[in-house]
Amino acid sequence: MVIVIFLVVVVAGGIGFQAWRTSRAPSASPSASVSASPVAITSGRPIALGSAEAPVTITLYEDFHCPHCADFEEQFGPIINQAQQAGTARVELYPMAFIDEGSVAAANAMACAAEAGLGQAYYQGLFANHTLKWSDQQLIDLAAKVGGSASDTFRNCVAQRAHADWVTSVNAAADSNSVSQTPTMLINGKQVDIAALTPEALQTMISDAAQKGTVR
Amino acid sequence: MSSVATKPRLAATAPWVSTAARLVLGGVFLVAGWLKVVDPQSSVAAVRAYRLLPDPVATIVGWGLPFAEIALGILLLAGIATRVAAAVAAVLLVVFMAAVVSAAVRGLSIDCGCFGGGGEVAPGQTAYGIEIVRDLGLLLLAIWLTWHPSSRLALDRFLGRWTGDQH
Repeated sequence: MVIVIFLVVVVAGGIGFQAWRTSRAPSASPSASVSASPVAITSGRPIALGSAEAPVTITLYEDFHCPHCADFEEQFGPIINQAQQAGTARVELYPMAFIDEGSVAAANAMACAAEAGLGQAYYQGLFANHTLKWSDQQLIDLAAKVGGSASDTFRNCVAQRAHADWVTSVNAAADSNSVSQTPTMLINGKQVDIAALTPEALQTMISDAAQKGTVR
Repeated sequence: MSSVATKPRLAATAPWVSTAARLVLGGVFLVAGWLKVVDPQSSVAAVRAYRLLPDPVATIVGWGLPFAEIALGILLLAGIATRVAAAVAAVLLVVFMAAVVSAAVRGLSIDCGCFGGGGEVAPGQTAYGIEIVRDLGLLLLAIWLTWHPSSRLALDRFLGRWTGDQH
């Protein structure tokens, strides 16, 4: 029957489309690199992106395969990035890994990129391409797209999941901090209600926190 | 279709009931499919959370099912091949309900993933009862439409011969 054939064609086409969408090579994301210096990876501690002297600390718990996190980054990323570049804010990133295997691989690769001094650009690249499944090849390609090249150290770091233990440790830290959903954001230690947040409100919060050291 | 004892009032209102059923069922499927299509990861994660299918199959279902829902939604909203679309929708709904019941019986804590999202949730936050009741309601609409596909504001009236409908 014509309709059944129509449905089969649509579904098959859809499967092919999603397969392409998750398996294609990453595209370069427009990014402004904040820090070119390597960041240390310490068990249980988040990745620091930004100046250590910045008055405002923005803590982010995000999973690279969580669609809400991708939306959050799209909506609020530019403001946070601006604050980082101005030296006003430092991001402390806890890459969560609860959605699927790709989450774990991406979180590990994020740590590898931070160590290589690619942290900020890689972070933005991961969210810009968030529909990808994050095979090792894609993660390595992404480093090349945002950093100009992927060193052998980075390749090995990704392929061997060198920071798998660290990923587990930060997820455990998130658990003990009672973080149960992503994205979760804290400014100077105080949790922010993201559902009601607007870019303007976030801008105000960051400015206030910079001046006063607390969030109203 | 029975022509013997249909009361005149039923015969007059039935097409409008079918129209409403078509629009509701079509709308729900279209929205449900669309919310899942935009996020392939969550769609696959939702299917995997049920632990009923091996991973590669779950991936294909996670990718393909939203498109089937969108296609069915469009067919129903436009009123094309209503009987077949409703029958396929009914089959899908039975499968969905079986999956939810299976998860509940096995004590899994998951979000059904029916409207995007989906995956593990905290045990107190499951809503299996509501999900089953909702799917049951939609199933009744689909069964009605399979039995009574003729409705108003439908393209079936012009396409009858091509889509197998006799009305």
